Amino acid sequence: MIETKRLTKHYGNLTALVDLDLVIEAGDIFGFIGPNGAGKTTTMRILVTLLEPSSGQAFIDGLDITKKGKEVRRMVGYMPDFMGIYDDLKVFEYLEFFAAAFSIEHKKRKSIVEGVLELTDLQSKGSFTVDSLSRGMQQRLGLARVLIHDPKVLVLDEPASGLDPRARIEIRELLRELKRMGKTIMISSHILSELEEICDHIGIIEQGRLVFSGTMEEIRQRMGVQSKVRVQVANNQQRAIELLSALPEVQDVQSTGRYIAVTLDKDQNTDGIIARVLVNGDIDIVSLEPQQVKLDEAFLQLTKGIVH
Amino acid sequence: MNIGLSKSVRYILKPSWLTGPIFDKELRVSSRRRRNYVLRSAYLAILTVFVVLVWHTMVRFQGAAAYRISQMSVAGLAIITTIIMFQFVATQLIAVVMLSTSISDEIYNRTLGVLMTTPINSFQIVMGKLFSKLLQIILLLAISLPLLATVRVFGGVPWNYVISSVCITLTAVIFAGVLSLYFSISARRAYVVILKTLFTLGIIYLFIPIMVVLVSQSFVPTIRQPLMLFSIVMLPNPFVVMQFNTAAMMSPGAVGIMPIPLSWPIHCVVMLGASVFLLAWSMRIVRRVALRQATGQLDLATKNRKKKKLSLKTTKSEGQSGLIRRVKGSPVVWKELRAPIIQGSRKKNIIGLAITIIALLITYAVNMKEKLLDEDFTHIAYTLVFVIIGLITNIVLSATTITTEKETRSWPILLATSMSDWQILIGKAVGVFRRCLPIWLLLAGHLILFITVRYIHPIAVVHLAILVTWIVVFLSGSGLYFSARLKRTTSAVVANFALALTLWAVIPLLLGLVATITYESDILEAYILTNPVVQTVVIMDGAGGSHNATRNLSRLNYEWPSPSGSNWNSIRSTTSILFITMLIYMSMGLLFAWRAKCRFRRNIF
Repeated sequence: MIETKRLTKHYGNLTALVDLDLVIEAGDIFGFIGPNGAGKTTTMRILVTLLEPSSGQAFIDGLDITKKGKEVRRMVGYMPDFMGIYDDLKVFEYLEFFAAAFSIEHKKRKSIVEGVLELTDLQSKGSFTVDSLSRGMQQRLGLARVLIHDPKVLVLDEPASGLDPRARIEIRELLRELKRMGKTIMISSHILSELEEICDHIGIIEQGRLVFSGTMEEIRQRMGVQSKVRVQVANNQQRAIELLSALPEVQDVQSTGRYIAVTLDKDQNTDGIIARVLVNGDIDIVSLEPQQVKLDEAFLQLTKGIVH
Repeated sequence: MNIGLSKSVRYILKPSWLTGPIFDKELRVSSRRRRNYVLRSAYLAILTVFVVLVWHTMVRFQGAAAYRISQMSVAGLAIITTIIMFQFVATQLIAVVMLSTSISDEIYNRTLGVLMTTPINSFQIVMGKLFSKLLQIILLLAISLPLLATVRVFGGVPWNYVISSVCITLTAVIFAGVLSLYFSISARRAYVVILKTLFTLGIIYLFIPIMVVLVSQSFVPTIRQPLMLFSIVMLPNPFVVMQFNTAAMMSPGAVGIMPIPLSWPIHCVVMLGASVFLLAWSMRIVRRVALRQATGQLDLATKNRKKKKLSLKTTKSEGQSGLIRRVKGSPVVWKELRAPIIQGSRKKNIIGLAITIIALLITYAVNMKEKLLDEDFTHIAYTLVFVIIGLITNIVLSATTITTEKETRSWPILLATSMSDWQILIGKAVGVFRRCLPIWLLLAGHLILFITVRYIHPIAVVHLAILVTWIVVFLSGSGLYFSARLKRTTSAVVANFALALTLWAVIPLLLGLVATITYESDILEAYILTNPVVQTVVIMDGAGGSHNATRNLSRLNYEWPSPSGSNWNSIRSTTSILFITMLIYMSMGLLFAWRAKCRFRRNIF
């Protein structure tokens, strides 16, 4: 659905994007992460035709964004990392204005606006002025706006920034609902744990270069990161450590208070081996929790923290 | 005890107690702004050009040495009065523009509340803002001092004139600046503050005195000495006092004409008193706004919205939903028409319009009583007022239409819709026209009314329609261009004003001075034909008044400033001149509009 080929963008002497190659499949939620100034927002702005690339190509549903700007805009909903509001417009008017801007027929607009208000749980706010809404409500309104013309692709730049935990959870649920509706979503966020939960694919960008793109599983494989298992035993913790250390699959065993942290060589299911060894050694197991590599850990390992 | 006292004395003697760190901060920031250096250079360049031209006009390098020396004192007088008048007008305008965002920036960047968490008080905030900007203006005044001192050597100008003029200028600048600062507390946008300040100054300096004199003369015949009344109501008007001061220097006998001389020291005291009062009021409001912000409450500007929101809740609970307006036609035009001309509620705008119409009707009543309504000059004055207000409104509204979207960051979102650039451009242009329409309708109403009673010839409608058409197209085009080109509303408005002033004031003035030097006035006269003010005057001079209203078309006489040997007084020539001017300016306007469209997607963020 979204594809970029050697996409490059220069701002004077500053190079914001370097030969970015990206593929996002239809119906996927693609998490785009990177440090501040890495080039995420520039990529998104190019994809929604607000910036022209210095070189390279980008396609949305097979359409070249530099040649078919109007058609691309018709199929993309863009939510920037700021809330552009019109003073003195009410929520309903704001949405109807954009419905009209996307050439939606007058007679259909009312039902469409009411539909997106319902989807974003803003039905009760229709007659409120946009600037009187709270930050969370404005973010919802931003989402409602991008949905008004029923686009195939949603490009969301930091949609959850500045929101309280409840509002973040609600936005996350809304994105899941949109995925169920078949939308392709490209989303950037600094809250990596949230992306991890909702994204099918992750792209990590630094200094304008894509350092990784793939699923969470592929991240783990790429990093060669070991799986970790946290074990809690009811008796004889020292004996348990000795038994586990003797296993060839185990790289490291450490006692962390009540728990034993076991680092395995490979990302494979060795929980059964650990359980068997401990039971055979007459040690009662209280819990055994596999610990997967987190996105923030992967992010820290894959990026150097260098910004432009 | 002694140590404490000396500490207090030392603190009071240090000027920093007056302004606190705000003054330092403002100076630091302004030193980093390129526009301040550009302003100083431009100011000096314009001043130099005027002085050189006046010098060349006045001093002839021919004839006897005694004659040339005598000419020098005349030139000195002309140069000094030119510089002083230039400074007087320019510095007031600069003060209004400079202070137009002084407090609003702090309010809307939410730094005012932060300042309140420090030992800085509202007195220091207001004084710091005012003095830092005044310092910039004093620098401008100081730039011309060496020039004034040099020219003073030629003689012809007494020192007390220079000093009194500088005092009048300074107090006028302080008053205009304080008024602008006061309005910047309640209005977010600089252009709104600038318009409000200029409008208020116009009311204080011009409208109230004229109305007082006219109404008292017409309806209170017991007032035997209108000149005395005039000199009292004109005392707070720096323009009149400056004019009087200059006239007194040129011909001291003129002072005796006024029953109460327009004394400049009294005027300066009045102006300073008014400024101090306004400053004290501003401090009170600033403190209130700052405390609201510091405690997380709504500021003054959003208080009204809160009220609106509450009222909405009430109406909603009552099941009413008529408050929402449905989008009809072009969404861009619809949105433009939702924006009020001046910030504030629609109700306030309607009240303002009603007051304007009532004031207009009062002037009609006064002029009718004085039997002036059938005179051509009365209708020249009315039409000029309408055209100039229309010009200013068009300049401002067209230049704000895109920059306000950039400032609220809604511009990229609008560009991300499937609307084409042409659709947006045409929508914006139509929106500007529709918002300016009330003023042109007032002009049309005036014309229709007095055509009906046979005080204006009907052909004036056609000629003024041509004039208004090119004014609207040209200024809307240029305004849209500057609005698309620049990021800040204030910059776009100033640029559009500068273009209009350059075309219709500065170039004619320079051409006039060149014509005086070269004795060749054809270029000036040809150029001045296209000036909207000149065209308005000529149209109404030819078609206004009862003596013209009933004439046959072929007998109407228009007095154009025509180049030597040509006679352009007929209706045919007049229509041709207006039509050609319209073609030229409309072409330029459309060119500007096209360039604006080309710039839509450049530097969006």
